[in-house]
Parts: sequence; C-alpha cells; structure tokens
Amino acid sequence: MAKLTARLAAANILTEVTVRQRSLNSALATTLPELDERERGFCQQLCYGVLRWYPSLQFLASQLLSKPLKNKDADIFNLLLIGLYQLRDLRTPAHAAISETVNTSKQLGKKWASGLLNACLRNYQRQQQELETTLKANASAQSAHPDWLLKQYQSDWPEYGTQVYEANNQQPPMMLRVNQQQYSREDYLRQLADAGIAAEAVSGTEHGILLSRPCDVSQLPGFNDGAVSVQDGAAQITARLLDIHSGQRILDACAAPGGKTGHILESEPSNSVVALDVSAERLQQVESNLSRLHLTATLKAADAGQTETWWDGERFDRILIDAPCTGSGVIRRHPDIKSLRRPEDIASLSAQQQQLLDSLWSLLKPGGLMVYTTCSAFKQENEQQIEAFLQRHPDAEEVRPEQPPAQPRPFGYQRLPGDDIMDGFYYACLRRR
Amino acid sequence: MALLNILHYPDPRLRNQAEPITDINDDIRQLADDMLETMYDAPGIGLAAIQVNVKKRLIVIDVSEDKSDPLILINPEVINAEGEREFEEGCLSVPEAYEAVTRADKIKVRAVNFDGENYEFDADGLLATCIQHEIDHLDGKLFVDYLSNLKRQRIRKKMEKHQKQKL
Repeated sequence: MAKLTARLAAANILTEVTVRQRSLNSALATTLPELDERERGFCQQLCYGVLRWYPSLQFLASQLLSKPLKNKDADIFNLLLIGLYQLRDLRTPAHAAISETVNTSKQLGKKWASGLLNACLRNYQRQQQELETTLKANASAQSAHPDWLLKQYQSDWPEYGTQVYEANNQQPPMMLRVNQQQYSREDYLRQLADAGIAAEAVSGTEHGILLSRPCDVSQLPGFNDGAVSVQDGAAQITARLLDIHSGQRILDACAAPGGKTGHILESEPSNSVVALDVSAERLQQVESNLSRLHLTATLKAADAGQTETWWDGERFDRILIDAPCTGSGVIRRHPDIKSLRRPEDIASLSAQQQQLLDSLWSLLKPGGLMVYTTCSAFKQENEQQIEAFLQRHPDAEEVRPEQPPAQPRPFGYQRLPGDDIMDGFYYACLRRR
Repeated sequence: MALLNILHYPDPRLRNQAEPITDINDDIRQLADDMLETMYDAPGIGLAAIQVNVKKRLIVIDVSEDKSDPLILINPEVINAEGEREFEEGCLSVPEAYEAVTRADKIKVRAVNFDGENYEFDADGLLATCIQHEIDHLDGKLFVDYLSNLKRQRIRKKMEKHQKQKL
C-alpha cells in the first residue's frame, strides 16, 4: 500500500497553483482532508513556504538545472523547490530532506527524475554559499518578489525601502476578534490565559487580540459558540469607520467569507444587513460564519455592481465596499499572490472597483456613509481611485475620522505591509450630501 | 538483499490467489527481507507477495514515520472487524492513483510467526487499513475494485498509457 505523503500532496498542490492558476486556499481545501492528520501541518508548511520564497527558489533551481524542465514536469520542478525550501529554511535534517524529496518523484510515477533531483539538491548543498551570493545580486530572487511587483511598489512608494518586501515575507500573526455580544476583550483574555494560550490586546482595535503563536481554532475557548472569530486587526477597524447605530439598514457588498459582516452585526445585532457576494459557493462561508456567531443577515449571491439583479429599491444608511483587489497588502497571508497575480490585473481590478463605487453610490441615502476598503498597497486601487470618484460625484465628501485608521493620505488612509503588526490595508469614508 | 520487481495494474498476475505458507524456511525469510527493502525503496507502507509475483500468503508492513516498525505477517487473516474508517489509499501496483476506500476501523488479526506458532493482535487506524489492503492482494483483490466503474476505467487507461510509453 502507498500513502499520500506531505511532500507528494504539496507537489500536487503547488502544481495546481502555479500551472492551473488555482488559489492556494482552494487547492489546500481539496487536498488536506485526504492526508493523514499527522501530515497536514507539514504539507501546509511546505506549500506556504515554497510560495512565499517562490521567486528565490525558482532562481536557485534555474542555476542548478542544466536545462529547463518540460511543462508537463511542473510537478518535478515544484518538488525540487520543496527540496530547496527544506534545505534553506526548515530544520529537517539535510539527508532526510533530500532522500524523502527524491523518493517522492517515484510516487509521482517519475522515477527518471530521482537522479536529477538528487544531483540538484546535493549540488545546492555543496555550493550553497556561492549560489546564495549570486542570488543576492538578483533583485527579484533576493526579495522573493516577481519583478513587476517590485517595480509597482517602488513606483508607488519610492520613499519606502525594503520594509514592504520584508514584511511580505514574514509569517503572519494570528489575530482574533472578540464577539462583543458575548465577552469583553479583558474577559476573553482571561479565558485564553486559563486555557494556557498566551495573547495580548491589539492596540488600535477595540476587540482585537494577538496570539503569541498561531493555534487551531478548536483550541480557542467558545469558538464553536461564536465567542471569537479569526480576523486581522486591519479588517477589524472597518466596523468602527461605519459608525454603526441601531435602526440602520446596511449593505455589505462583497461579503465573503463574512468576517466583516459578522463584525457589523456584532456591533448592533438588531440592524438589517444585506450581504452580497458574487460567488454562491463563497456565500456559504458567510452563512456558516454567521450561524456560528448566532447572527442573521439577508444573503444574496449577486454581483453588487449589477443593482438591477438584486436591489429591492430601498436605500441604505451604510454601505461597505470591501472591494476585490490585488491583495498586494496581504501577501504575507496569501503568498500565492506572488505566483498568481499579473501586472494587468491592477487595471482590470481597478475598473471593477470603480464600477462598484459608481453603481452603489446611488443606493446610499442622503447623509449616509459609504466605506471603501481594499487589502491593496497600490495607489491606483486606493487613493487615486477615491480621488477620481470624488471628482465624478459632487454630492460625495470624504469624512476624516477623529482616530485615523492608518496613515493619512491626501484621500483616505493607507497601511503598508510592515507599518505595524496588522495587514496592509486602505480605508476611505465617503458621505453623501 | 535484492529489490524485487513490482507488478503494475492491470497485470493479470495481480489476480492470482496466494497459497498458505506451510514450511517457514530461509527462502521465506529472504523473501520477507527483500520485500521490505522493495517496499521502503518504492516508497510504500505495505507490500504483499502477490505484488512481486510470488503466490504465497506473506505481507510486509511499516506504517511508522521513520521506517522503525517493520512487520512481517505470514498467513494473516482478519478474525474480527468493527467500525468504519475512510482513508485515501494508494497502491504500489497502481502508482499515482489515490482514492478513498472505507474499511473496518478496528480489527483482530491472526498470523503465524517464524517459529510456526499462531498469534493474535489488535490493530486500528492506518495499520488496520493497511493490513486489510494487503490481505486483499493475497486474495487477488485490489483497492480499485472498491471504486466506481468510471473511476476504475480512468485509472486503468492512465496506467496502460504509461506502460506503453515505457516500451
């Protein structure tokens, strides 16, 4: 009998991402349940690690291979990257890392590759210093970012040095949002302490908690009963900006997976909230998140921008557009962005954002508030987008909240990766006159 | 010690029935050692004699993480089974295919040791799955037999294509 091993599963998952352009989350969701429980953590570590360092590992692999592998052998190429990642970054003993990686090629039915992998990995070991020096001279390999992404950060934020790339390459911390309907932050911190989980409050948020070490949600007291949700502090600030009071009708236009929808309702459960998402499948995550929190919203699978397909004609007091974006602020959480995004995505996403802003604006009551957020670090999706919006809509004015959610910009607020412990994020608050 | 050649599905010899071992001699010991080496090299966690074209009721298993727990079972049989467990199984005779198969979760096994004495033990989890998978081989049965016709045909076509490429 043969067993699906962590390395074999990781090679297959990485090929799904790098060749079939599938998101890491989606590929992991299909494959992890097939693995023996003991192997799941390691498989996840390999996938995240390889994608985080992909441009660096790819560079090393190209130095080690005498000729490029064929497209149909992308799995072997990824296996080589898995081997290199283990040798560079993990504490796996080198001989085990090499022999297990080489063996995995046989499980892929490509025994011919075992000699090749063995030679490349042993050569890396022998020439490590030299290769790593060559790597330092290549900007993309050194920073572990594709060239276009580096150039985009540099042209948007020339005054920032390597801070952004370094922050993008860190493993993200795990943060929680305490459900204010059930616990105060202080009470829940005590619960965590009793459970032996080290944690502290996240400054700049009202209900945010930072765990010293990521853990499985099943270990969190009361998780299944809705005591807390996993959510970065940057996303938690959004609810405060919406200035929520009872009796409001609120639209969450791009709701999945429902983190912010839950937060909006935790702030005032009696409010009527309409949560939309273009993907019916992802909308199910919103439903299950809300049901765990014992909250209800009106859920509709619809493209928010196509108002004629879903809108009942009643305007909203508050509209949240957590817009689809490049994700260039949250690469530490989604390292697959380095492999999946293309430079032309910026223009197409920015057109989508503009369409959402313009078509939802008329659904806002006069005096109502629209909050626009992205997890992008690029100006075209953020402050330039809002500047252009304000020019197109004379009945719109920007509101500057007393407590700025991030660094003030000419339009809105921007947090870049590495500014503080939270995710890179953009916020703008727009009031309709 | 020697590496043995593993038969690949749909080789008809995988459908042979294995005979009980009556004489436990040095040949059997040698076969068991070679099978363990072949299994570790593959790499796999279990191998039945039928898979190396020997029609004897002999299987070798090691489900440990670090090859530290080799198990040699002569004339093994399941004498009690309970519960259900689904596991994504693969087979050294069906490389690259991994599919979920449901088997008993806890089993009682009887086998013979190298001194020819009967003994019994309990197994659960991955070990139980693996023992049942290997005993199936001794009866000419493969894990793909538990799958839908469609899935089995797809695996068979893929295997035949691979074998043609090798020739």
